[in-house]
Formats: sequence, C-alpha cells, structure tokens
Amino acid sequence: MSASPSTVAVQGAASRPRAVAPGRRAGRAAGRTHRAFSPWLFLAPGLLITLAFNLYPFLATVWKSFTDARTLTPGTFVGLDNFTALLDDDQFWVALRNSALYVVLVVPCLVFLPLLLALLVQRHIPGIAFFRSAYYTPVVASVVVVALMWVWMLDDRGFINGVLRMVGVDPVPFLSNQWLLLLSSMALTVWKGLGYYMIIYLAALANVPRELHEAAEVDGAGPIRRFVSITMPSVRSTMVLVGALSSVSAFKVFTEVFMIAGPTGGPGGADTTLVMLIQRAGTGLQGRTGYASAMSIVLFLLTLVLMLLVLRADRKDKD
Amino acid sequence: MAAAAQAPAPAPDVRPHRTRTRTRTRAPRWRTALRYAALVTVLLIMIGPFLWQLSTSFKGTTEDIYTSPPRLLPAHPTFANYGDVADTIPVWDFILNSVKVAVANVATNVIGAAMAGYALARLRFRGRKTAGLVFVLALLVPMEATMLAQFATMRSLELNNTLIAVVLPGCIGAMNVLLMRNAFGALPYEIEEAAVVDGANVWQRFTRIALPAVKGTLAVVAIFSFMGAWDDFLWPLIVLSDSDHFTLTVGLNFLHGTFSNDQRIVAAGTIIAVAPLIVMFACLQRFFFRGVGEGAVKG
Amino acid sequence: MSIHRSVAIRTAVGLGAALSLTLLTACGGGGSGKGSATDGKIEGEIKFQTWNLRANFKDYFEGVIKDFEKANPGAKVKWVDQPADNYADKLSADATAGTLPDVVNLSPDLAYPLAKAGTLLNLDKDKVAAKFKPEYLDGAWHGFDMPGLDGSYAFPWYLNTGPLFYNKAMFKDAGLDADKAPKTFDELFADAAQLGQKGKATLAQPPTVEDFGRYGVEIMSKDGTKFTFNDAKGVEFLTKYQTMFKEGGLHKQALTLTAETAGQKFLQQEVAMNPGSAHDLETFKKSAPSLYSSLGITDVPTNTGKQNMYLQGLSVNSGSKNTATALAFAHFVTDQKNQEDFGHKVAVFPSTKGSLDKEYWTKSDGSEEGKIRVASAKMLPTAVNYTPVLFSDEMKTILRNEIAKCLQGKESSKEALDSAAAQMTKLIQQK
Repeated sequence: MSASPSTVAVQGAASRPRAVAPGRRAGRAAGRTHRAFSPWLFLAPGLLITLAFNLYPFLATVWKSFTDARTLTPGTFVGLDNFTALLDDDQFWVALRNSALYVVLVVPCLVFLPLLLALLVQRHIPGIAFFRSAYYTPVVASVVVVALMWVWMLDDRGFINGVLRMVGVDPVPFLSNQWLLLLSSMALTVWKGLGYYMIIYLAALANVPRELHEAAEVDGAGPIRRFVSITMPSVRSTMVLVGALSSVSAFKVFTEVFMIAGPTGGPGGADTTLVMLIQRAGTGLQGRTGYASAMSIVLFLLTLVLMLLVLRADRKDKD
Repeated sequence: MAAAAQAPAPAPDVRPHRTRTRTRTRAPRWRTALRYAALVTVLLIMIGPFLWQLSTSFKGTTEDIYTSPPRLLPAHPTFANYGDVADTIPVWDFILNSVKVAVANVATNVIGAAMAGYALARLRFRGRKTAGLVFVLALLVPMEATMLAQFATMRSLELNNTLIAVVLPGCIGAMNVLLMRNAFGALPYEIEEAAVVDGANVWQRFTRIALPAVKGTLAVVAIFSFMGAWDDFLWPLIVLSDSDHFTLTVGLNFLHGTFSNDQRIVAAGTIIAVAPLIVMFACLQRFFFRGVGEGAVKG
Repeated sequence: MSIHRSVAIRTAVGLGAALSLTLLTACGGGGSGKGSATDGKIEGEIKFQTWNLRANFKDYFEGVIKDFEKANPGAKVKWVDQPADNYADKLSADATAGTLPDVVNLSPDLAYPLAKAGTLLNLDKDKVAAKFKPEYLDGAWHGFDMPGLDGSYAFPWYLNTGPLFYNKAMFKDAGLDADKAPKTFDELFADAAQLGQKGKATLAQPPTVEDFGRYGVEIMSKDGTKFTFNDAKGVEFLTKYQTMFKEGGLHKQALTLTAETAGQKFLQQEVAMNPGSAHDLETFKKSAPSLYSSLGITDVPTNTGKQNMYLQGLSVNSGSKNTATALAFAHFVTDQKNQEDFGHKVAVFPSTKGSLDKEYWTKSDGSEEGKIRVASAKMLPTAVNYTPVLFSDEMKTILRNEIAKCLQGKESSKEALDSAAAQMTKLIQQK
C-alpha cells in the first residue's frame, strides 16, 4: 500500500486551500469517468448492511409506536395514543430539557477543546507519541469503569473535595445536587470525548500544508492569528462533522448520567435523559415496547432537526 | 514505506548554532517548555483515574481500599488479583473471541466504509444524495430501538449464538462511511485527473490513488471499529448464549458476582480489558502518523 | 467486476429472504407452542440456564449434571450461564424469538411476565410436576404463584434473607448501647435521631417496597389489580422517614446511591447501618478490616414479625421439545440433597421441607457466618416475599423517585404515595 513517488508529488503540488465544496466541484470537473453501475457496486455492501440492520428494523419501530405492544405481546393498533400520552408525561419534558441542556453545554466544548488538543500534540517533539496515546486512553476505557472512578473523585470525601477542604472551602455536593450531577456527567462526557475527536482533527490537520503556516510566520502572524486565519478554515468541514456527531451523541447520552446520577436519574428523577427514559420504559420483560418506540421516534426526529441545523449553519457560513 | 516518513518535521540537517535566528521548524525554547507544561497538565487530567484503578488492582487483601482520603499507592503490591480473575473466568478464551470479533470488524469497516465513502465523495451518479442521506439517517437511529428486531433477523439467518452475528450489524458503520466521505472529499480533484487521462478505471483510481492518500483516516476508522467491537456489551450478550463464545466485556461481567463483590478483582478485570487497547493504539499510532505524514512530506 | 457483482446479488437475495422471514417471525412473537408431554421418556438434550453462578460454582453444577445424566442414560444437559447485568433483556430476546432454554433460573418478578406470555409450564396444573409440591416449603412454592394465572410456575430453589449490619463504634460514639440494635422501626427512628445529632447518618438508602411491607403496609390489593401502599399507614411511614432525612438520619447522597454504592458508604464508615447478607462478611473482612472489628449484626427491623425473603426458582419452558427431561432435571437440581449441598457451598438456604431443621442450620459453630446462618434459618419458615411479583423495574423507579421528591420536601408524603400508586396501577392495567 505504499504510495508511488508520483502520487506524493501530485499531492504536494495540489496542496493549496480551496474555497469550493470539494465533493461538488470534483464531480462537476471530473465529469462522467465511470460506468453507470460502478458507484452502486462501491456502495452495495455499506448500503445493504445499513438498510438491513439499521433502517429496516427502525421501520418496525415506527410501526410499533402506533401499537400498545409490550415486550412479550405484539399489541394492537392504537393510533396516536402513545404520542399523546408522551405529551402528558412530566418525565418526558424533564428528560427533553436535560438532553437539550446536554447538547448546548457539551457540544461547544467538544468542537473546540479537541482541536486545541490536536494542535498541542501535532508537533513532532520528543515523547509526543506517548502523550497522544495517553490522551486517547479515556476513549478506549469503558464508560462504566471510568464513571465509577469519577464518582470516587467527586464524592463528598473524595479527591476533589479533599483538595477544596485544604483550601478551606466547604465540600461541594457534586453527587447530591441535581444540577451538579448533570454538570458532572457532562464533564465526564467531554473528558471521554476529547481524545476521540482529537484524532479526527489530527487526521484533518495532517492535510493542512505546512507552507501556509510557514509563510504566515514569515509575515509575522502570531499563533492566534494563524489559528483563526489558517487552521480554522482548513479544518472547517471537520469542525462541522465533529459538531454534528457530538450533538447527536450528546442528545443521546445515557451511560454517563446513568452511572453518575444513578439508575433512577438523580434525586427524584430530575436528571433523567431521553434515552434513559426509553430504556426504562422499553427494557425488561414488562417493557412497554409501544410507548418506548414512540419515544424513539421523537428522539430520532429531534436529532434529525439538530443535524439539519448544524449543516444549515455550515451552508450559511460558506455563502 | 518511505524512510523519510519516520523523520518528523522536514528539519534542515544543519543545526542552527545561533539561537537567535528562528529557523522555520524550531520554536524558541520557552515555547517548547510551555508546550511540555501544557502536555503534562493535560496528561494528569487524562490518565489520573486510570493510575488509581491500576493502583487498586495491585492492592492486597490485607489493605483497606475504602479509606478516606484514598491511599494512592498499594502498600504491598501483588499480582494476586490478576490470578483471581484468571481463576474465576477463562479470560484467555474471552480475549480470543474479542480479538476475532474486533479484527473482523476492522477489516469489514475499513474496506466497506472506504468503498462507500469513495463513491459518495468522488463519483457522480443519480441518487448520490439519497445514498448519502441513508448513512446520515442511520447515524440517528437509536440503537436500543432496533436491538430486538436485529436479534430476530439473526435468528432467521440462523446466526444467533455465533460470532458472525456479533460482527454483522456494525460491520460497516455509517459513521465510518461519513468519515471516509469527508476524507476523500478533502482531496483535490486534480490528483485523479492524470489517472483519468491515462485511462485508469474507477477501481484502479480508488485503490492506487485515492486510498493511499487517506491513510490517516483509514487508520482512524480502523481504531474506532476495533474499539467499538471491543467495548460492545449489550449486543453480544443478547445474541450469544454459550459462554464459549462470550467476548471479554460480557465475560468480565461475571466478576460482579451474585454473591460477592471484590473491588480489587473488578479493577484487575478492567485493567485487563483496557490494557490491550492502549497497547494497540500506542503501536498503531506510529503507523497512523506515518500514513498521515506522507501527505505533508514532499519527496 | 463480474465476480463482485454476482456476490453482491447473492448477498442481496440472501438478505432479502432473511428480512421477509423476519417480518413473518416479528409479527408472531409472544407465547411459544405446546411442548412435548411431561410424562414421556427422560431422554434427549435440554438446555439449562443459570444466572451468574458459573464463576463460583462451576464444579458443583457440572457434578449435578453428571449425576443426572448417569441416572438417566440418554438424557443430555447443556448448561449455559448468563452474567448479572441485563438478564431481563437477555430473557426478553430469547422469549420473543422462541429460543428460551428448557430450564431457566428465574426470580418471581422475572417469571411473572414469562408465565403470562404462556412460555412457562404451570406446575400445579401438570400432573407430573404437581406430585412434587409437598417436598417444598409452602411459602417458597407459593412464592411463584402468579396473580390471575392460577398456579405456580417454578420449582423453588435457593432462599435468602439478609441481616442488618451496624457499626458498633459509631453507635458508641453517639452514646447508644452498641449491643442493643433497634428491633422495630420506632426504635430505629429514635436511634437515627440520636446519631443525627452527632452529625452521623444512620442509613444510606431511602425506604424500599420491602420496608413498607415490614412496616405493615398492604402493598397491593388481594386480587392484584391495584397498589394500595398509599393508605394511612404508608403515609405515616413515609412521613417518619421524611423527618429522619431532615434530621440527618439518611446519608446526604441517599437519593442517588444504588444498593452497591450504599454498601460502599457503610464500608467507608459514613453510615451506621446497612442491610446485607452473609456474603458481605467476606467483603468486610477483605476490604475494610477496621470496620469488621466493630461490626454488629442484627435482624432488620420489622413491625409484622415476618422478615423479607428473596427467592430463586427453576422454571420449565412450556414449549420444550423434551419437557419430560426438563421437568425431571429442574426437580433434580432442586431436590433436597442437591439443595442442601448448594447451601453448604454458599450462604443461601434450601427451600425443601425439613432441610432447615438439619444441624447445619440450627447449631452455630461460633463463627460470625455460623451465627448469621442460624439466625436467618430461624426466620425463613415464616418469611414472606414482600415484593409483589408484578413489581417491575419501572415501578421500582417510579416509587423511588416519588419518595425522593417527598424527602426533598417537594411533595407531601401523601401526594408522593398517591402519585406513585396511581402511576403504577396504570402500568398494570394497561394490557
């Protein structure tokens, strides 16, 4: 799989920033250079798997959301009953609020912090390989394990409050106040996601030609200036991708809150998120499959809207 | 592989003998120091908790692990807990199953996602938008909503209780397809132009030109799919029933005994689960940056 | 290229066929068909599933299986064991797909929905199984009675009931008699108030459904159609807890702790009392030697005179191909000899009649474990399972969350219990 020298040369020659959306332009310029069925052969495996194991089962969920099915009983058609019941469910609104808060607070952190981290470890200085791998550790560890460690640290008598006590501050009730519980879960999500998105950014940064930076440096642009005028534009599409991915996963958060705020979602269920609610209603042997399916549909539609908003913002930026 | 790839930045061979002159690649010393300070600070935040877990896993049975404030280092380090894990569950069999699943998942994802991503980014055809939308939508489908239906599908394919069933639903992740699409999309179209002129067909352009140019992202996809397969718990649990087939995450759950809960053994188990991933990433990341770096190094 | 295409087409056809099959099966679901006769010959292969017992008792089960296969040539038992977490999800998947093992280890709350879906054998209605009924403790056999389904659905297996552990040193510090643990709830609340004045918490968890039962609250109506714990007695009980929480009798994080993390608070000596079982002794010894040296052991307070009993059983899949073999094996594992052997291996109690009168369960050998064993064995014959079989995990969450709102002062105890009872009753009435 080694690249021939000519390829490398071509790549070098082609490294200059482009203002036009790559896909569209490539298509138009290259024109039709393949047989009509070729793209479909390329797509077949991916499309088949996705349709068979993802979208098709989801259609079954759509159908179930209009029934009163339980885990072990198929149920009968009840029209929009599940959806109207959902609107009357106080827990649903609480969960929706928490999931939305999660997106609003977590996504900006996950778009910018990993980028800074990627810039930090981009330089080939001695020992950098070690740091890169180390930053990635939280990603590879299971959330459940990590969350347990965090609970230890956030405890009234844990590490963090121990430090605060030394400074003379009263212990912060990280694990009993509903808002602090939610914030602690968010911190865990961010901490765990940093390495993941850092890698995506690193791959993107590798494609930013060094000459640009060098030229800017010669012109006397400082690091902040270079970040804004060179780095940001060249990883823009990656930032959008990271924004989209992190909003969807933040909206679907489950494990972190489940572990930190407890399985019932904080005191009195005040920290429950949407997926926690779906799990609660839909799993187990007496799960209300129909009702949980209705919630899944709502979740799906909301993430869709979220995604469209992110992409829309991206378009606006471009024009 | 080009040997040059191992050399970091294309630094000139001449070492600057006057520190005042700023070479293109050498940052001043204070800035390097600052960078290391930042690196170490972040390092502590990122791996502190793991060191704690590691420490717990080496603590002997004579030691109180619930003291407060927690004691950072084991008083009498011991490997006994790891021995206990191996005595309690057939760890090696579980690891082997996990490796099989993870490797298969990497292979299918790298190949499948690269092909689909290439078509979406570089080829013009009717239905491209729709095909792209399928993958975006798939990203949004809540996993918990599809699990039982997937299980029924596996059963009708007569695959349940096999490792194939564990791999199949995630064998070409939508997310990976989108990552590959992004990577191919970022390539300047000129790199394929010469090949088109030379009369290369699509497959040749894909394998000889496009793929080598996105090695970095391929490595990313490989790492993500390895991890995803390695950490998955609920799906393998649902689809497997014989413990001969259990993967490590499912198997380790046996350590949360019905009748006892020894934190030290659980800690040792988690270290066993995490260590291979860290080691793998540490090894892969060299190759990974070699692949990425090639784009930037001019031969 | 052509090769690729044919592979793609074949895959597509294969998947298409599979999917259409899925459509057919997905609409089916629910109860499985009739199994074979129960009085047939004991032969053929059956699948036996336990719940997280392999890691510690592999040799025991392999021994039992070998004995059974020796006694019944031609019969083969394949044993599978499932991890602790998500057992209900595993059962759901198997039950909907019709792949439930022939003999399954269940607790009453897991057995109920499966029995209702028609996947389990009604032992009272089966002429072979009903004969075995006299061998078991009445309370245990009826522990698997399902409301509205007329019969019992599992062979009773091992029982357990937990002592209450308390920290003698903390009792002493608060000026309480370390050898006089509270026996009733009123004594418990009084002790908690005194500990609270010293700034020490007594318990790490808000009350559970079993606590309501022990206080003497009727949890459900007799016919199992609605929840009744929001009566005057229930409200009185919760109001006392509310006061206790205000006075610092419960741990500050009590509303978010799980059973496991509550146990850790006891280990860290942040709370004075915690319910548990004999298995915990090992943990105390290993993980918190300083606590172990001042450990007190007492009965959980009860106002009814009856303790709570945890119960496990073995159910037979009604759709089994070898029902006779499955039935014979389920009975074999739960017969007197095998149950007593298991009780000697681990701190659980046999549910067969007469077993608890054996010396091992009546005479203490002086060790802490021995003391707990004898005390628990004395309580078990009268103990009841206070948790109704209809009580699902979702209901547990509802109750817990409403209680939390009450303890936080967001709702009165009457409002909280009314709301919980209404939500839970709605869940069982939705068919």
